[in-house]
Amino acid sequence: MKKAVEVNNVSFAYESETVLEQVTLAVEERDFLAIIGPNGGGKSTLLKLMLGLLKPDAGTIEVYGKAPSKSLSLIGYVPQNTNVNTDFPIKVIEVVLMGHVGGKRPLWGYGKEEATCAMGALREVGMEAYADRKIGDLSGGQRQRVMIARALCAHPRILLLDEPTASIDAQGQKEIYELLKKLNSTMTIIVVSHDISVILEYATKAAHINHYLTYHDIRDKSKLFHTHDEAGEHFCEIEMLQMLGAEQCTNCDPTQEKETK
Amino acid sequence: MIEALSFAFVQHALIAGVLVSMAAGIIGSLIVVNRMVFLAGGMAHASYGGIGLAVFFGFPIFLGASLFAVAAALLIAYLTLHDRHRIDTFIGLIWAVGMAIGVILIDLTPGYNVDLMSYLFGSILAVSSADLYFMGALLAVIVLVVTLRYRDILAVSYDSEYASLRGVNVRFFYALILVLSALTVVIAIKVVGLILVIAMLTIPVYIAERLSSSLMGMMILSGIIATLFTLGGLWFSYSYDLTSGASIILVSAAGLGVFLLLQKGKR
Repeated sequence: MKKAVEVNNVSFAYESETVLEQVTLAVEERDFLAIIGPNGGGKSTLLKLMLGLLKPDAGTIEVYGKAPSKSLSLIGYVPQNTNVNTDFPIKVIEVVLMGHVGGKRPLWGYGKEEATCAMGALREVGMEAYADRKIGDLSGGQRQRVMIARALCAHPRILLLDEPTASIDAQGQKEIYELLKKLNSTMTIIVVSHDISVILEYATKAAHINHYLTYHDIRDKSKLFHTHDEAGEHFCEIEMLQMLGAEQCTNCDPTQEKETK
Repeated sequence: MIEALSFAFVQHALIAGVLVSMAAGIIGSLIVVNRMVFLAGGMAHASYGGIGLAVFFGFPIFLGASLFAVAAALLIAYLTLHDRHRIDTFIGLIWAVGMAIGVILIDLTPGYNVDLMSYLFGSILAVSSADLYFMGALLAVIVLVVTLRYRDILAVSYDSEYASLRGVNVRFFYALILVLSALTVVIAIKVVGLILVIAMLTIPVYIAERLSSSLMGMMILSGIIATLFTLGGLWFSYSYDLTSGASIILVSAAGLGVFLLLQKGKR
Protein backbone atom coordinates (compact mmCIF):
# COMPACT_ATOMS: atom_id res chain seq x y z
CA MET A 1 0.00 0.00 0.00
CA LYS A 2 1.24 3.47 -0.81
CA LYS A 3 2.13 5.66 2.10
CA ALA A 4 -0.10 8.71 2.55
CA VAL A 5 2.89 10.97 3.10
CA GLU A 6 6.55 10.11 2.82
CA VAL A 7 9.11 12.59 4.01
CA ASN A 8 12.60 11.46 3.14
CA ASN A 9 15.70 13.06 4.62
CA VAL A 10 14.30 16.55 4.31
CA SER A 11 16.23 19.62 5.36
CA PHE A 12 14.95 23.15 5.19
CA ALA A 13 16.28 26.59 6.04
CA TYR A 14 14.73 30.08 5.91
CA GLU A 15 17.58 32.11 4.42
CA SER A 16 20.46 31.11 6.71
CA GLU A 17 18.43 29.80 9.63
CA THR A 18 18.12 26.02 9.52
CA VAL A 19 14.71 24.84 10.69
CA LEU A 20 14.60 21.16 9.81
CA GLU A 21 17.49 18.74 9.48
CA GLN A 22 17.29 15.32 7.87
CA VAL A 23 13.70 14.71 8.80
CA THR A 24 12.29 11.36 7.76
CA LEU A 25 8.68 10.42 8.39
CA ALA A 26 6.21 8.00 6.90
CA VAL A 27 2.51 8.55 7.45
CA GLU A 28 0.31 5.53 6.81
CA GLU A 29 -3.22 5.69 5.46
CA ARG A 30 -5.70 6.42 8.30
CA ASP A 31 -3.04 7.50 10.75
CA PHE A 32 -3.93 10.27 13.16
CA LEU A 33 -0.57 11.94 13.50
CA ALA A 34 0.14 14.68 16.02
CA ILE A 35 3.07 16.92 15.24
CA ILE A 36 4.25 18.53 18.44
CA GLY A 37 7.30 20.40 19.65
CA PRO A 38 8.48 23.82 20.84
CA ASN A 39 7.78 27.10 19.06
CA GLY A 40 10.21 27.66 16.23
CA GLY A 41 11.00 23.95 16.21
CA GLY A 42 9.71 23.57 12.67
CA LYS A 43 6.18 22.14 13.07
CA SER A 44 4.39 24.51 10.74
CA THR A 45 7.34 24.44 8.36
CA LEU A 46 7.01 20.69 8.02
CA LEU A 47 3.30 21.10 7.34
CA LYS A 48 3.96 23.72 4.66
CA LEU A 49 6.51 21.41 3.06
CA MET A 50 3.93 18.63 2.95
CA LEU A 51 1.51 21.03 1.27
CA GLY A 52 4.07 22.10 -1.29
CA LEU A 53 3.90 25.74 -0.14
CA LEU A 54 7.61 25.45 0.63
CA LYS A 55 10.21 23.40 -1.22
CA PRO A 56 12.78 21.36 0.72
CA ASP A 57 16.44 22.33 0.39
CA ALA A 58 17.37 18.66 0.46
CA GLY A 59 15.43 15.40 0.46
CA THR A 60 12.05 14.53 -1.02
CA ILE A 61 8.41 14.66 0.01
CA GLU A 62 5.74 12.56 -1.62
CA VAL A 63 1.99 12.50 -1.08
CA TYR A 64 0.55 9.21 -2.35
CA GLY A 65 3.66 8.76 -4.46
CA LYS A 66 3.52 12.19 -6.12
CA ALA A 67 4.95 15.63 -5.42
CA PRO A 68 2.66 17.65 -3.11
CA SER A 69 1.99 20.25 -5.81
CA LYS A 70 0.68 17.45 -8.04
CA SER A 71 -1.62 16.09 -5.33
CA LEU A 72 -3.55 19.27 -4.48
CA SER A 73 -6.92 17.55 -4.62
CA LEU A 74 -5.80 14.79 -2.24
CA ILE A 75 -4.89 17.20 0.53
CA GLY A 76 -7.29 19.20 2.65
CA TYR A 77 -5.67 22.02 4.57
CA VAL A 78 -6.92 23.98 7.57
CA PRO A 79 -4.59 26.93 8.17
CA GLN A 80 -3.64 28.55 11.44
CA ASN A 81 -5.30 31.77 12.60
CA THR A 82 -8.83 31.65 11.36
CA ASN A 83 -9.45 34.83 13.32
CA VAL A 84 -7.75 37.10 10.81
CA ASN A 85 -9.63 38.89 8.07
CA THR A 86 -12.97 38.59 9.89
CA ASP A 87 -14.15 41.95 8.49
CA PHE A 88 -14.17 40.46 5.01
CA PRO A 89 -17.73 40.52 3.65
CA ILE A 90 -18.18 36.86 2.84
CA LYS A 91 -20.77 34.23 3.69
CA VAL A 92 -19.94 30.88 5.25
CA ILE A 93 -21.05 28.98 2.16
CA GLU A 94 -18.78 31.08 -0.08
CA VAL A 95 -15.78 30.26 2.10
CA VAL A 96 -16.57 26.55 1.86
CA LEU A 97 -17.02 26.76 -1.91
CA MET A 98 -13.42 28.00 -2.18
CA GLY A 99 -12.34 24.51 -1.24
CA HIS A 100 -13.14 23.21 -4.72
CA VAL A 101 -10.14 22.69 -6.92
CA GLY A 102 -10.29 24.44 -10.31
CA GLY A 103 -11.01 22.46 -13.43
CA LYS A 104 -14.40 22.28 -15.07
CA ARG A 105 -16.70 25.01 -13.88
CA PRO A 106 -19.50 27.23 -15.10
CA LEU A 107 -18.88 30.60 -16.75
CA TRP A 108 -20.35 32.44 -13.83
CA GLY A 109 -20.71 31.52 -10.17
CA TYR A 110 -20.73 27.96 -8.89
CA GLY A 111 -22.04 24.70 -10.32
CA LYS A 112 -25.02 22.93 -8.78
CA GLU A 113 -22.89 19.95 -7.76
CA GLU A 114 -20.35 22.21 -6.16
CA ALA A 115 -23.04 23.88 -4.09
CA THR A 116 -24.54 20.56 -3.00
CA CYS A 117 -21.11 19.27 -2.11
CA ALA A 118 -20.30 22.38 -0.07
CA MET A 119 -23.57 22.04 1.87
CA GLY A 120 -22.69 18.40 2.50
CA ALA A 121 -19.33 19.43 3.92
CA LEU A 122 -21.05 21.95 6.19
CA ARG A 123 -23.45 19.26 7.35
CA GLU A 124 -20.54 17.00 8.16
CA VAL A 125 -19.09 19.57 10.56
CA GLY A 126 -22.52 20.51 11.94
CA MET A 127 -22.57 24.04 10.54
CA GLU A 128 -25.32 23.64 7.94
CA ALA A 129 -27.59 26.17 9.62
CA TYR A 130 -24.95 28.89 9.33
CA ALA A 131 -24.46 28.70 5.54
CA ASP A 132 -25.77 32.21 4.86
CA ARG A 133 -24.23 33.91 7.86
CA LYS A 134 -21.32 36.32 7.51
CA ILE A 135 -18.08 34.61 8.51
CA GLY A 136 -17.17 37.44 10.88
CA ASP A 137 -20.31 36.85 12.97
CA LEU A 138 -19.22 33.35 13.99
CA SER A 139 -17.30 32.33 17.10
CA GLY A 140 -13.74 31.07 16.81
CA GLY A 141 -14.80 27.46 17.16
CA GLN A 142 -17.55 27.79 14.59
CA ARG A 143 -15.17 29.46 12.18
CA GLN A 144 -12.72 26.61 12.64
CA ARG A 145 -15.45 24.12 11.70
CA VAL A 146 -16.16 26.13 8.56
CA MET A 147 -12.48 25.96 7.64
CA ILE A 148 -12.59 22.19 8.12
CA ALA A 149 -15.65 22.05 5.87
CA ARG A 150 -13.76 24.07 3.26
CA ALA A 151 -10.98 21.49 3.38
CA LEU A 152 -13.48 18.61 3.12
CA CYS A 153 -15.10 20.17 0.06
CA ALA A 154 -12.60 18.62 -2.34
CA HIS A 155 -12.98 15.14 -0.78
CA PRO A 156 -9.37 14.90 0.35
CA ARG A 157 -7.71 11.70 1.53
CA ILE A 158 -5.49 13.57 3.95
CA LEU A 159 -6.47 16.41 6.23
CA LEU A 160 -3.70 18.70 7.49
CA LEU A 161 -4.48 21.09 10.34
CA ASP A 162 -2.24 23.78 11.78
CA GLU A 163 -3.07 24.57 15.43
CA PRO A 164 -6.79 23.97 14.92
CA THR A 165 -7.71 24.70 18.51
CA ALA A 166 -5.61 27.76 19.26
CA SER A 167 -7.84 30.46 20.75
CA ILE A 168 -10.85 28.20 21.14
CA ASP A 169 -12.43 27.45 24.53
CA ALA A 170 -12.11 23.99 26.11
CA GLN A 171 -15.55 22.80 25.04
CA GLY A 172 -14.94 23.96 21.47
CA GLN A 173 -11.58 22.16 21.43
CA LYS A 174 -13.13 18.90 22.48
CA GLU A 175 -15.78 19.21 19.79
CA ILE A 176 -13.15 19.85 17.12
CA TYR A 177 -11.17 16.79 18.19
CA GLU A 178 -14.28 14.61 18.32
CA LEU A 179 -15.01 15.75 14.78
CA LEU A 180 -11.48 14.90 13.68
CA LYS A 181 -11.79 11.48 15.28
CA LYS A 182 -14.94 10.85 13.27
CA LEU A 183 -13.27 12.03 10.06
CA ASN A 184 -10.29 9.78 10.83
CA SER A 185 -12.42 6.73 10.01
CA THR A 186 -12.28 7.73 6.35
CA MET A 187 -9.13 9.82 6.02
CA THR A 188 -5.61 10.36 7.25
CA ILE A 189 -5.28 13.21 9.72
CA ILE A 190 -2.19 15.24 10.53
CA VAL A 191 -2.44 17.90 13.23
CA VAL A 192 0.13 20.41 14.41
CA SER A 193 -0.77 21.33 17.95
CA HIS A 194 0.23 22.89 21.23
CA ASP A 195 -2.50 21.19 23.26
CA ILE A 196 -0.32 18.20 24.01
CA SER A 197 -2.50 16.33 26.45
CA VAL A 198 -5.63 16.74 24.34
CA ILE A 199 -4.09 15.91 21.02
CA LEU A 200 -2.34 12.82 22.35
CA GLU A 201 -5.63 11.50 23.60
CA TYR A 202 -6.89 11.34 20.03
CA ALA A 203 -3.73 10.79 18.00
CA THR A 204 -2.40 7.35 17.14
CA LYS A 205 1.09 8.55 16.22
CA ALA A 206 3.16 11.42 17.46
CA ALA A 207 6.11 13.19 15.92
CA HIS A 208 8.10 15.53 18.11
CA ILE A 209 9.96 18.12 16.11
CA ASN A 210 12.74 20.36 17.25
CA HIS A 211 14.96 20.68 14.19
CA TYR A 212 15.17 16.87 14.31
CA LEU A 213 12.25 14.53 14.42
CA THR A 214 11.45 11.84 16.96
CA TYR A 215 8.64 9.48 16.09
CA HIS A 216 6.34 7.55 18.45
CA ASP A 217 3.58 5.06 18.05
CA ILE A 218 1.09 5.92 20.75
CA ARG A 219 -1.86 3.71 19.96
CA ASP A 220 -1.68 1.92 23.29
CA LYS A 221 -1.55 4.83 25.64
CA SER A 222 -1.73 3.01 28.97
CA LYS A 223 1.34 0.94 28.17
CA LEU A 224 3.19 3.84 26.71
CA PHE A 225 2.99 6.55 29.27
CA HIS A 226 4.47 5.68 32.60
CA THR A 227 3.64 9.30 33.29
CA HIS A 228 0.03 8.25 33.82
CA ASP A 229 -0.78 7.99 37.51
CA GLU A 230 -2.43 4.92 39.00
CA ALA A 231 -5.94 5.92 38.14
CA GLY A 232 -4.81 6.86 34.68
CA GLU A 233 -6.40 10.26 34.96
CA HIS A 234 -3.61 12.71 35.32
CA PHE A 235 -0.79 12.86 32.91
CA CYS A 236 2.18 14.95 33.40
CA GLU A 237 2.90 16.99 30.35
CA ILE A 238 6.38 17.97 31.42
CA GLU A 239 7.63 14.43 31.91
CA MET A 240 5.92 13.38 28.74
CA LEU A 241 7.44 16.17 26.70
CA GLN A 242 10.87 15.17 27.92
CA MET A 243 10.18 11.64 26.86
CA LEU A 244 8.82 12.59 23.45
CA GLY A 245 11.68 14.97 22.74
CA ALA A 246 14.38 12.52 23.86
CA GLU A 247 16.81 11.39 21.21
CA GLN A 248 16.28 7.78 22.06
CA CYS A 249 12.80 6.58 22.73
CA THR A 250 12.72 3.93 25.39
CA ASN A 251 9.00 3.62 25.76
CA CYS A 252 7.91 2.66 22.30
CA ASP A 253 8.07 -0.94 21.24
CA PRO A 254 11.35 -1.19 19.31
CA THR A 255 9.98 -3.79 16.90
CA GLN A 256 7.34 -1.39 15.67
CA GLU A 257 9.45 1.69 15.69
CA LYS A 258 11.96 3.10 13.36
CA GLU A 259 13.83 5.75 15.24
CA THR A 260 14.67 8.87 13.42
CA LYS A 261 17.10 11.26 14.82
CA MET B 1 -29.69 73.96 -12.35
CA ILE B 2 -31.92 72.43 -15.02
CA GLU B 3 -30.73 74.75 -17.79
CA ALA B 4 -27.16 73.75 -16.97
CA LEU B 5 -27.97 70.24 -18.16
CA SER B 6 -28.30 71.49 -21.71
CA PHE B 7 -24.58 72.28 -21.91
CA ALA B 8 -22.49 69.49 -23.44
CA PHE B 9 -19.72 69.93 -20.89
CA VAL B 10 -22.14 69.50 -18.01
CA GLN B 11 -23.59 66.36 -19.61
CA HIS B 12 -20.06 65.04 -20.08
CA ALA B 13 -19.23 65.81 -16.48
CA LEU B 14 -22.27 63.91 -15.23
CA ILE B 15 -21.64 60.86 -17.43
CA ALA B 16 -17.96 60.84 -16.46
CA GLY B 17 -18.92 61.14 -12.80
CA VAL B 18 -21.19 58.09 -13.00
CA LEU B 19 -18.74 55.93 -15.01
CA VAL B 20 -15.79 56.76 -12.79
CA SER B 21 -17.78 56.32 -9.58
CA MET B 22 -18.96 52.87 -10.61
CA ALA B 23 -15.40 51.82 -11.51
CA ALA B 24 -14.04 53.33 -8.29
CA GLY B 25 -16.65 51.51 -6.22
CA ILE B 26 -15.83 48.12 -7.72
CA ILE B 27 -12.06 48.50 -7.77
CA GLY B 28 -11.98 50.39 -4.48
CA SER B 29 -13.64 47.36 -2.84
CA LEU B 30 -10.88 45.11 -4.16
CA ILE B 31 -8.21 47.58 -3.07
CA VAL B 32 -9.61 47.77 0.46
CA VAL B 33 -10.15 44.03 1.04
CA ASN B 34 -6.68 43.30 -0.35
CA ARG B 35 -5.18 46.03 1.86
CA MET B 36 -3.71 47.84 -1.12
CA VAL B 37 -4.75 51.40 -0.26
CA PHE B 38 -1.17 52.61 0.08
CA LEU B 39 -0.26 50.83 -3.15
CA ALA B 40 -3.11 52.58 -4.96
CA GLY B 41 -1.91 55.91 -3.59
CA GLY B 42 1.56 55.17 -4.93
CA MET B 43 0.23 54.33 -8.37
CA ALA B 44 -1.97 57.44 -8.47
CA HIS B 45 0.91 59.78 -7.74
CA ALA B 46 3.36 57.90 -9.94
CA SER B 47 0.99 58.31 -12.88
CA TYR B 48 1.88 62.00 -12.88
CA GLY B 49 5.13 60.83 -14.44
CA GLY B 50 3.04 59.50 -17.30
CA ILE B 51 1.28 62.83 -17.68
CA GLY B 52 4.68 64.53 -17.97
CA LEU B 53 5.79 61.94 -20.48
CA ALA B 54 2.67 62.49 -22.61
CA VAL B 55 3.08 66.26 -22.55
CA PHE B 56 6.79 66.04 -23.41
CA PHE B 57 6.39 63.65 -26.33
CA GLY B 58 3.08 65.05 -27.42
CA PHE B 59 0.80 62.02 -27.15
CA PRO B 60 -2.59 61.81 -25.43
CA ILE B 61 -2.49 62.41 -21.67
CA PHE B 62 -4.71 59.40 -20.90
CA LEU B 63 -2.42 57.10 -22.83
CA GLY B 64 0.72 58.38 -21.12
CA ALA B 65 -0.79 58.24 -17.64
CA SER B 66 -2.23 54.76 -18.28
CA LEU B 67 1.05 53.32 -19.54
CA PHE B 68 2.98 54.80 -16.65
CA ALA B 69 0.46 53.72 -14.01
CA VAL B 70 0.31 50.18 -15.40
CA ALA B 71 4.11 50.00 -15.41
CA ALA B 72 4.10 51.19 -11.78
CA ALA B 73 1.44 48.57 -10.95
CA LEU B 74 3.47 45.76 -12.49
CA LEU B 75 6.60 46.94 -10.71
CA ILE B 76 4.71 47.02 -7.39
CA ALA B 77 3.25 43.56 -8.10
CA TYR B 78 6.72 42.23 -8.83
CA LEU B 79 8.19 43.77 -5.67
CA THR B 80 5.37 42.55 -3.43
CA LEU B 81 5.47 39.02 -4.78
CA HIS B 82 9.24 38.59 -4.86
CA ASP B 83 10.68 40.73 -2.15
CA ARG B 84 8.34 41.73 0.62
CA HIS B 85 11.20 43.23 2.57
CA ARG B 86 10.73 47.01 2.93
CA ILE B 87 7.98 46.99 0.36
CA ASP B 88 6.46 50.15 1.85
CA THR B 89 9.72 52.02 1.32
CA PHE B 90 9.72 51.07 -2.36
CA ILE B 91 6.11 52.10 -2.82
CA GLY B 92 6.94 55.45 -1.23
CA LEU B 93 9.81 55.75 -3.70
CA ILE B 94 7.63 54.94 -6.71
CA TRP B 95 5.11 57.45 -5.39
CA ALA B 96 7.59 60.34 -5.22
CA VAL B 97 9.87 59.47 -8.14
CA GLY B 98 6.91 59.19 -10.52
CA MET B 99 5.74 62.69 -9.56
CA ALA B 100 9.25 64.10 -9.83
CA ILE B 101 9.63 62.67 -13.33
CA GLY B 102 6.36 64.33 -14.31
CA VAL B 103 7.34 67.73 -12.93
CA ILE B 104 10.77 67.66 -14.62
CA LEU B 105 9.37 66.53 -17.98
CA ILE B 106 6.83 69.35 -17.94
CA ASP B 107 9.62 71.81 -17.05
CA LEU B 108 11.53 70.58 -20.08
CA THR B 109 8.60 70.93 -22.46
CA PRO B 110 9.13 74.20 -24.34
CA GLY B 111 6.33 76.71 -24.18
CA TYR B 112 3.95 74.39 -22.36
CA ASN B 113 2.16 76.01 -19.51
CA VAL B 114 0.39 73.06 -18.01
CA ASP B 115 -2.21 73.52 -15.36
CA LEU B 116 -0.77 71.26 -12.70
CA MET B 117 -3.75 71.87 -10.44
CA SER B 118 -6.17 70.27 -12.89
CA TYR B 119 -4.35 66.95 -12.58
CA LEU B 120 -3.88 67.17 -8.85
CA PHE B 121 -7.47 68.12 -8.09
CA GLY B 122 -9.43 67.07 -11.17
CA SER B 123 -11.04 68.90 -14.07
CA ILE B 124 -14.35 67.19 -14.57
CA LEU B 125 -15.74 70.10 -16.57
CA ALA B 126 -13.12 69.49 -19.26
CA VAL B 127 -14.02 65.90 -20.08
CA SER B 128 -13.98 65.21 -23.84
CA SER B 129 -16.04 62.58 -25.66
CA ALA B 130 -12.84 60.60 -26.23
CA ASP B 131 -12.33 60.57 -22.45
CA LEU B 132 -15.86 59.26 -22.01
CA TYR B 133 -15.23 56.36 -24.44
CA PHE B 134 -12.08 55.47 -22.56
CA MET B 135 -13.91 55.54 -19.21
CA GLY B 136 -16.81 53.50 -20.59
CA ALA B 137 -14.50 50.90 -22.10
CA LEU B 138 -12.53 50.53 -18.88
CA LEU B 139 -15.71 50.14 -16.81
CA ALA B 140 -16.90 47.46 -19.25
CA VAL B 141 -13.59 45.60 -18.93
CA ILE B 142 -13.71 45.81 -15.14
CA VAL B 143 -17.29 44.53 -14.97
CA LEU B 144 -16.47 41.70 -17.38
CA VAL B 145 -13.33 40.58 -15.56
CA VAL B 146 -14.91 40.81 -12.12
CA THR B 147 -18.01 38.83 -13.09
CA LEU B 148 -16.27 36.14 -15.14
CA ARG B 149 -13.39 35.61 -12.69
CA TYR B 150 -15.30 36.41 -9.50
CA ARG B 151 -14.43 33.09 -7.88
CA ASP B 152 -10.72 33.51 -8.38
CA ILE B 153 -10.69 37.15 -7.36
CA LEU B 154 -12.70 36.31 -4.24
CA ALA B 155 -10.41 33.39 -3.36
CA VAL B 156 -7.22 35.41 -3.84
CA SER B 157 -8.60 38.35 -1.87
CA TYR B 158 -9.90 36.31 1.04
CA ASP B 159 -7.07 33.83 1.52
CA SER B 160 -4.33 33.90 -1.09
CA GLU B 161 -2.34 31.03 0.42
CA TYR B 162 -5.37 28.76 0.30
CA ALA B 163 -6.21 29.91 -3.22
CA SER B 164 -2.75 28.87 -4.40
CA LEU B 165 -3.32 25.43 -2.87
CA ARG B 166 -6.53 25.15 -4.90
CA GLY B 167 -4.63 25.75 -8.10
CA VAL B 168 -5.53 29.44 -8.54
CA ASN B 169 -2.77 31.49 -10.16
CA VAL B 170 -2.45 33.95 -7.28
CA ARG B 171 0.31 36.06 -8.83
CA PHE B 172 -1.66 36.59 -12.01
CA PHE B 173 -4.79 37.73 -10.19
CA TYR B 174 -2.84 39.92 -7.78
CA ALA B 175 -1.17 41.65 -10.73
CA LEU B 176 -4.53 41.87 -12.51
CA ILE B 177 -6.16 43.62 -9.55
CA LEU B 178 -3.25 46.07 -9.41
CA VAL B 179 -3.39 46.83 -13.14
CA LEU B 180 -7.16 47.42 -13.03
CA SER B 181 -6.59 49.66 -10.00
CA ALA B 182 -3.96 51.64 -11.90
CA LEU B 183 -6.31 52.21 -14.83
CA THR B 184 -9.16 53.18 -12.51
CA VAL B 185 -6.91 55.66 -10.78
CA VAL B 186 -6.07 57.20 -14.14
CA ILE B 187 -9.70 57.79 -15.12
CA ALA B 188 -10.46 59.06 -11.63
CA ILE B 189 -7.75 61.70 -12.05
CA LYS B 190 -10.08 63.54 -14.45
CA VAL B 191 -12.85 63.62 -11.90
CA VAL B 192 -11.20 64.19 -8.52
CA GLY B 193 -7.48 64.48 -9.30
CA LEU B 194 -4.63 62.26 -8.30
CA ILE B 195 -4.31 63.58 -4.75
CA LEU B 196 -7.96 63.11 -3.89
CA VAL B 197 -8.48 59.79 -5.67
CA ILE B 198 -7.70 57.75 -2.55
CA ALA B 199 -10.72 59.19 -0.77
CA MET B 200 -12.96 58.24 -3.68
CA LEU B 201 -11.60 54.69 -3.63
CA THR B 202 -12.08 54.22 0.12
CA ILE B 203 -14.95 56.28 1.60
CA PRO B 204 -17.87 54.64 -0.28
CA VAL B 205 -16.16 51.26 0.16
CA TYR B 206 -15.94 51.68 3.92
CA ILE B 207 -19.68 52.33 4.17
CA ALA B 208 -20.54 49.51 1.76
CA GLU B 209 -18.39 46.98 3.63
CA ARG B 210 -20.43 47.54 6.80
CA LEU B 211 -23.67 46.95 4.94
CA SER B 212 -22.72 43.96 2.77
CA SER B 213 -22.42 40.27 3.39
CA SER B 214 -20.65 39.43 0.15
CA LEU B 215 -17.84 40.94 -1.90
CA MET B 216 -20.11 41.22 -4.94
CA GLY B 217 -22.72 43.09 -2.91
CA MET B 218 -20.01 45.33 -1.51
CA MET B 219 -18.74 46.21 -4.98
CA ILE B 220 -22.20 47.05 -6.33
CA LEU B 221 -23.17 49.06 -3.25
CA SER B 222 -19.84 50.94 -3.27
CA GLY B 223 -20.46 51.88 -6.90
CA ILE B 224 -23.91 53.21 -6.08
CA ILE B 225 -22.75 55.14 -3.01
CA ALA B 226 -19.78 56.59 -4.92
CA THR B 227 -22.14 57.72 -7.69
CA LEU B 228 -24.44 59.45 -5.20
CA PHE B 229 -21.50 61.23 -3.58
CA THR B 230 -20.08 62.31 -6.93
CA LEU B 231 -23.41 63.68 -8.18
CA GLY B 232 -23.99 65.36 -4.82
CA GLY B 233 -20.51 66.86 -4.96
CA LEU B 234 -21.02 68.15 -8.50
CA TRP B 235 -24.27 69.78 -7.51
CA PHE B 236 -22.57 71.39 -4.52
CA SER B 237 -19.67 72.57 -6.66
CA TYR B 238 -22.03 74.03 -9.27
CA SER B 239 -24.28 75.76 -6.75
CA TYR B 240 -21.51 77.45 -4.79
CA ASP B 241 -18.95 77.73 -7.59
CA LEU B 242 -16.32 75.59 -5.86
CA THR B 243 -13.68 73.15 -7.15
CA SER B 244 -15.50 69.99 -8.19
CA GLY B 245 -12.98 67.33 -7.06
CA ALA B 246 -12.66 68.76 -3.56
CA SER B 247 -16.45 69.20 -3.35
CA ILE B 248 -16.97 65.51 -4.19
CA ILE B 249 -14.52 64.44 -1.50
CA LEU B 250 -16.05 66.70 1.15
CA VAL B 251 -19.57 65.53 0.33
CA SER B 252 -18.27 61.94 0.64
CA ALA B 253 -16.63 62.71 3.97
CA ALA B 254 -19.84 64.32 5.22
CA GLY B 255 -21.75 61.23 4.06
CA LEU B 256 -19.33 59.02 5.97
CA GLY B 257 -19.80 61.18 9.09
CA VAL B 258 -23.58 60.84 8.90
CA PHE B 259 -23.24 57.09 8.36
CA LEU B 260 -20.98 56.67 11.40
CA LEU B 261 -23.37 58.69 13.57
CA LEU B 262 -26.32 56.56 12.43
CA GLN B 263 -24.35 53.39 13.18
CA LYS B 264 -23.52 54.66 16.62
CA GLY B 265 -27.12 55.58 17.24
CA LYS B 266 -28.23 52.07 16.33
CA ARG B 267 -26.05 50.45 18.98
